[in-house]
Amino acid sequence: MNRLLDLGLEQLTSVVYRMAELAEKALHLSIGGYMENQNRATEVHELSDVLSTMSVEVENKAFELIVKYQPVASDLRIIDSYMKIAYDFERYGRYAWDIAFTQNKLGINGCNAASEDIENLAEKVIGMVSVSVRALKQHDAELAKSLAGTERDVDELYFHYLDEISRATVESKGNICNILVARFFERIADHTTYVGESIVYIATGEKVTLR
Amino acid sequence: MSNVTITNPKMQSINLNVWFGKKQALKDINISVKTNAVTAIIGPSGCGKSTFIRTLNRMHELVPGAKLTGQVMLDGKNIYDDDVDSVMIRRHVGMVFQKPNPFPTMSIYDNVASGLRLTGAKKGKNLDEIVQKSLQQATLWDEVKDELKKPGTSISGGQQQRLCIARAIALQPEVILMDEPCSALDPIATAKIEELIVQLKEQYTVVIVTHNMQQAARVSDYTAFLYLGQLIEFNQTTTVFENPQSELTEKYITGKFG
Repeated sequence: MNRLLDLGLEQLTSVVYRMAELAEKALHLSIGGYMENQNRATEVHELSDVLSTMSVEVENKAFELIVKYQPVASDLRIIDSYMKIAYDFERYGRYAWDIAFTQNKLGINGCNAASEDIENLAEKVIGMVSVSVRALKQHDAELAKSLAGTERDVDELYFHYLDEISRATVESKGNICNILVARFFERIADHTTYVGESIVYIATGEKVTLR
Repeated sequence: MSNVTITNPKMQSINLNVWFGKKQALKDINISVKTNAVTAIIGPSGCGKSTFIRTLNRMHELVPGAKLTGQVMLDGKNIYDDDVDSVMIRRHVGMVFQKPNPFPTMSIYDNVASGLRLTGAKKGKNLDEIVQKSLQQATLWDEVKDELKKPGTSISGGQQQRLCIARAIALQPEVILMDEPCSALDPIATAKIEELIVQLKEQYTVVIVTHNMQQAARVSDYTAFLYLGQLIEFNQTTTVFENPQSELTEKYITGKFG
């Protein structure tokens, strides 16, 4: 016989997994749009709003489960971690929107994504988001821990890009756009490691820092 | 198994085995009880937790057919050595039971004083002081100070349980054992006993058996999980309830047992 708590955990998991899908979709749209010079701001904004609402839903559900069942051990770790992960997914959505907004504000054609560093950053960040979602669905601590290495690569690329841009003589809208977007990429990468830390905690009870 | 090391324990069971007739109730139990801390014993019915707590003051000996091997140390001395008097041990290691059991024919005052009188204390200012102090430590004094001559059974269940704790404290024990002390009480009375348990550890060492895992999580510093007479896990309470090391503990505390 299932525990009453199991039904609540299933509902919570379902919302968090749905957030994972939407957050990944929002980032694909906004980063893809940025790299391909296409305006996806409206769709991304809608997804970002939905993710914010769902984050509150996760928090409410988590509190309900804590109040009703006083969960312990792996149940408690899942609830605590899902609250944190929901926030991270909300941030994924928010940064997706920030990228699309920046692109929109500065004018699609004013943004120049041609830099090799930006392309590399985009590729790595999309990969990290995908790994964080996969690790979540499999509760795979080792996969989650692998995010630490990629996050270091992202930091390296980000700082390399800043060094490059600091030596640039032309202050174009494209460069301003790229600096902002590179910063958003770096923050998204950070949040994937936070998701990774939560997954390690769920799976092992171990509290680790992945960045 | 024990997952934590406690140096200079107040009490310690070493390779403790207990039988009642042919049935073995405890198997090779090694638990260290830290001084001025609360140690909770949890586990399903029949796991041996009440038997364990009773071995800590030799009360299990009152059951016919009881047999024990191994050692139970109090401050480094085995309480089962031939030269140890079981009555003296029970004075040093007091017990509070599941159901409040004040002596029905005695007043509140006499209930608290009864143990002292049995050990030779006489009426007088000193006895009054000990009764008052014991009732104060049991956080009952303010509620009963004007009715000390009333029967011990005339007060509420929660108050009766605190009276029993005061009776145990009056003998100035070093260790207080509590065998499901709140299972017959309502939530408010339970909360008062739990607050009291946390206060008591400043002066005493407390070992509590409880069916209520949230209670163990709330009041204890260390938790031992027993199953079928064996120690499955003994660790700091926060670790047991956040990240238990044994899958069996995880299943029990999350209600996934069976």
